[in-house]
Amino acid sequence: MKRTLAIAALAGSLLAAPVFAKDPILIGVPVGLSGANSVVAPSVVQAAELAVDQINAKGGVLGRPLKLVVADDASGAVGAQKAFDSLVFQKNVNVLISMETSAARNAGLPIVAKGKIPYIYTSFYEGHACSPYLYVDAWVPEQQVPPVVDYLKDKGAKTYFLIGSDYAFGRGMLGFARKYIDKTGGKVVGEEYLPMDGTDWTPIISKLKASGADALITSTAGGAPNVTLTKQLRNSGVTIPYANLAVDEGTAKSMGKDAAGILISASYITGIDSKANKDFMAALKKKFGDKTRTPNDLSVPQYEGVYLYAKAVEKAGTTDTRPVLKALGEVSFTGPRGTISMNKQHHAPLTMYLGQVQDDGSVKVVKSFKNVDPGAQCPKL
Amino acid sequence: MSDATLDTAAEPGRRRSRMRHLWVLALIAAGLMIAGPLFLDRFTVNVLTRSMIFAILAVTVDLLWGFTGILTFGQAAFFGAGAYATAMVLTHLGSTPGLMVLGLVLSIVLPVLLAAAVGWLTFYPGSTDFYATVISLVVPIVVTQVIYSGGTWTGSSSGLVGYVGLDLSLGGFFRLAGLSLVAVVVVALIFVRSDAGRVLTAIRNNETRCAYLGISTQKVKIALTAVLAAVTGYAGFLYANASGVVAPENAGFVFGTQLVVWTALGGRGTVIGPALGAVAIDYLSAQLSGQMPFLWQLVIGTLFVAMIIFMPNGLAALATGWRRMRRGEDGFSPQLVALPPRAARVPADGDSPLLRIEKLEKSYGSQKVLEDITLQVRRGELVSLVGPNGAGKTTLMRCMTDGKAASGGTVRIHGTSISGMVPDQIVARGIGRKFQVASVFDSLTVAECLRMARVSHEAPSFLRSADSLSLPQAAIEILRLTGLDQHLGRAVSLLSHGQKQSLELAMVVSLEPELILLDEPTAGLTAAERATIGQVLMKLTSELGLAAILVEHDLDFVRDISSRIVVLHQGRLVLDGTVEEVVNDEIVKRIYSGGDHV
Amino acid sequence: MMAPPHSKESRQMTLLLDIITTAAILFIIATGLLTIFGVLKIINFAHGAWLTVGAYCAVAVGDLGWNPWAALPVAFVTGAALGGLTERFIVRPLYARPLDAILATWGLGIIIGQLITLGFGRDVQFTKALLPGTADVFGTSYSVYRLFALAAAIAIGLGFSWLMEGTRLGLSARAVIMNEALARALGLDTRRIRWVTFMIGCGLAALAGTLLTPLTSVDPNMGVAWLVGSFMLVMVAGQSFAALALACLLLGGAQVIVSTYVSPILGGITVAVLAAVVLRISPKGFSRV
Repeated sequence: MKRTLAIAALAGSLLAAPVFAKDPILIGVPVGLSGANSVVAPSVVQAAELAVDQINAKGGVLGRPLKLVVADDASGAVGAQKAFDSLVFQKNVNVLISMETSAARNAGLPIVAKGKIPYIYTSFYEGHACSPYLYVDAWVPEQQVPPVVDYLKDKGAKTYFLIGSDYAFGRGMLGFARKYIDKTGGKVVGEEYLPMDGTDWTPIISKLKASGADALITSTAGGAPNVTLTKQLRNSGVTIPYANLAVDEGTAKSMGKDAAGILISASYITGIDSKANKDFMAALKKKFGDKTRTPNDLSVPQYEGVYLYAKAVEKAGTTDTRPVLKALGEVSFTGPRGTISMNKQHHAPLTMYLGQVQDDGSVKVVKSFKNVDPGAQCPKL
Repeated sequence: MSDATLDTAAEPGRRRSRMRHLWVLALIAAGLMIAGPLFLDRFTVNVLTRSMIFAILAVTVDLLWGFTGILTFGQAAFFGAGAYATAMVLTHLGSTPGLMVLGLVLSIVLPVLLAAAVGWLTFYPGSTDFYATVISLVVPIVVTQVIYSGGTWTGSSSGLVGYVGLDLSLGGFFRLAGLSLVAVVVVALIFVRSDAGRVLTAIRNNETRCAYLGISTQKVKIALTAVLAAVTGYAGFLYANASGVVAPENAGFVFGTQLVVWTALGGRGTVIGPALGAVAIDYLSAQLSGQMPFLWQLVIGTLFVAMIIFMPNGLAALATGWRRMRRGEDGFSPQLVALPPRAARVPADGDSPLLRIEKLEKSYGSQKVLEDITLQVRRGELVSLVGPNGAGKTTLMRCMTDGKAASGGTVRIHGTSISGMVPDQIVARGIGRKFQVASVFDSLTVAECLRMARVSHEAPSFLRSADSLSLPQAAIEILRLTGLDQHLGRAVSLLSHGQKQSLELAMVVSLEPELILLDEPTAGLTAAERATIGQVLMKLTSELGLAAILVEHDLDFVRDISSRIVVLHQGRLVLDGTVEEVVNDEIVKRIYSGGDHV
Repeated sequence: MMAPPHSKESRQMTLLLDIITTAAILFIIATGLLTIFGVLKIINFAHGAWLTVGAYCAVAVGDLGWNPWAALPVAFVTGAALGGLTERFIVRPLYARPLDAILATWGLGIIIGQLITLGFGRDVQFTKALLPGTADVFGTSYSVYRLFALAAAIAIGLGFSWLMEGTRLGLSARAVIMNEALARALGLDTRRIRWVTFMIGCGLAALAGTLLTPLTSVDPNMGVAWLVGSFMLVMVAGQSFAALALACLLLGGAQVIVSTYVSPILGGITVAVLAAVVLRISPKGFSRV
């Protein structure tokens, strides 16, 4: 009895999954399984696994299955070198698709250049990373900041206070915000940074309160510093409109009531009302059950990145680097975030959503902005 | 007798063959480095290139921590400084051969300057081991912060990337890093086996004794830090070129702790152990941490703790321990050579006293330990300092050898006040001090201890360990009288209490001082040993013209050898006279009979 | 949309409150480390891990649905129990090797961090706010929780003075601080005193971790950021709680002033750099206070 069941199950699985005669196409995913990014990394890996499963279920790419090879980059430069070396030269992957810290991406780029394979970067970042091998399907400051500032301005804010962590992303985002605020007639009355591992924001908060600013925009390192700053802001009774450029839905949830009212600007929010998004969320739930990690603005670009690569390989008819790189700038894919095409100097125009965190930690879409242009990121490409 | 000659003839031969082994191993290692890229895959070549650069750092950590006892997390900062110097030149100026040389020079000069400043801050007379560790934590934190705040100059958190480095293939970098590592290991091994290298161990063992042998331990430590920063900076140069990227974490304190972990697991104090440890652990982590990052760190953490507790000297120490056991207990015995007697520093111009103490005071808060001490000592005198416990005898000795100890009054040697001088400066003026509890170097051999006493007179070789040991005749005589000349190669930790006392005396005499201070040199010795020491002291003073001050409880011994006796009671000098005068004095009798309130 | 820029007086009041409460928080964080260093002459580099353990006690108490204040005793007991094991198996063999003790406890910190990660995951954890909102202090609105932290610091300071001055244990501990050999000769069980002291130190560290939860993110690495600062303060303070209070007030105050008037980035390294300089000039730090 048992045996017949087993055979039936085997037959079933054979029927369900196409059998591939050819070698798989290897997708390297260097990601921060440990270190700062380890909070978000599991959701990124899940998104990639789902995309690979879905594509393989439909026959793979050029008759070949996709296969993920995940490696830990420890969220930093040294770990990234090991991860990239291992993926590029040991596992001989065909492509790298991954969300990583800027330091890890930078550390990996020379290795990618030596290995001469495509690299799709799926994390939002401070912009202007350029390499012939690099494509980006997530947002840059030019796309994320204007919706926030415009919204605050509409609500009557004239003076702004900027707070960030002292690192490339924090400074890059707020530097762009300052320029944009100046351009649109607002005034920045304070811009303060704390070291990445700083724990006490008190003097900055006191300055903020003393400045009498109408609105607050923050861009800290993800995770811990963000939570610490928000808790301390709330403890000190700061109630002015507060836009957080670095918070994701999951972190907002873990902060509970402290996060209520925070404005966030993202290319993906779970509440996007589209069929593609609902299908995606359902598929994720079906595959991972109660182990599902909430999808977010870092994991969804990863999901779409895999699809974009698959499309590019189909279009090029090969996994050879040169034609695939050319095709990556031409193909498009409609996913949870809408239709994505990395056709602007290796970056992608994106629909941006302005959301507000509710008392229960969920994010309500306040406004959306169609196809925001990334601007001139890499004029030389 | 013929045995001994045979032995000393065989010893240098054995050591020469050991040196030959080192060179053969070095050549084999260098050969492997050159051939490596031919049979290793590209991944292994890349990972090992970086691991070997890190191994260079581990060797520097070992020299500082394993040999000299300075626990440092700061090597990462010097490494980062070197790497960033190179990357910033290549990024902002360009990468012509001339600029590459500039990058190399800066990658060495900057860390050296930084290290010299840090060394000055860290190592001052009286600084503690903890303080050195504190500073070694602060430096990487500050350097990392500077990098973060450097904007486009340093690339902030993203680091610098995209510059054009040395035009070498992957294999070329492997060979460069590998040969550099072999060179650093060989030079480090030659150094630690040389006479100069033993100074590091001596400092780790007993820094006070080093200072009282006239060795400026602070200068040695600062110089060591600076030189190793140069090596570290060069490693940073290699890294910036080989990896094509530099990032703040390269300079951070977490990386600094990692270096210490590798060094500990590889085996501190062995040079090769930390180098192999760094390469092995870094390579393994590249292989394994991808699958189980948290578990991997858990395993490393657990191993590290276990190693620190149960095997503080690491795996490599087991091997060396075994080798030592197989070879027998004794190390190398050099041949003793007598130095010609040297002329006095200041010509004996009649009667000017060697030591003149005027109105010396020492107090702790409101408590006066010494008060109004005035005393002179001339050459040829053997002055005994007696008095009950707590009279201030040891404190007085300390005030004579540490210019910062006294609270008031002056101590002059040859007419110069020692106020503010540190012990090694005072020792250089002709004072030698023997402590109450024998203060020697437990990790060295008898001969090595004696050589330490000569370091301030003749600079030790950085390349080799000398076959002969030149000592003043008087020191050799002490060794002969006590039989230590037969055990020059014996580890000090194996000596008896009396032998250690004699060894320390021989060390102090080897300094060729003009005034010797001895704090209870005969405590715990047998009657025979005591007689020997007395004999030696008499000879030093009456025949060689040295002066000596002796703290002693044994009045019979004092009576036999002293030319003068000084009585100290409750911090005051109550009597200063000949043996006869003192022994027959009523006050002294009262003090010693117990009714001690004068 | 917000009150007009604060008056000069109000700003000075805020600065004063910032300084005092920052000092209070630093004091709370460093007491556990000082207790251990003062008596045992050992630096517990796993201190950061104990802060983390305390914070996760708050998380666990929240998960169990208990009153959030219950986290304080739970953290103290958990910290002390783990501390007792640590002293017995890791620290005890290392009393003669203080530098090795630093390393072994650092390694232990790594182990605890990884175990917490394996148990609770890497994510930032949610804890209930203990005392939200602000209060009016002489016309300046100020965080209630920071004012509470000030009270907590004073309570810990006084409690500890009582423990040291008014109890048998304190007397024994002071005897060990002054002269361990003599204390042993007088028949004190110094081994037991060390053990209990280490437990109390770890208990205090965990307690501090719980007290931190409303002010900081709770994640497996949260303690490390506080470690170096506490370490520096304790090096400056030596063995005395009064000296620690002074060090927190002076160095913490300097941190706030530098952050307010120069740059928060420089403020972030103020404590470490100043402590190093103080120790260079006066190797005994403030310990003679």
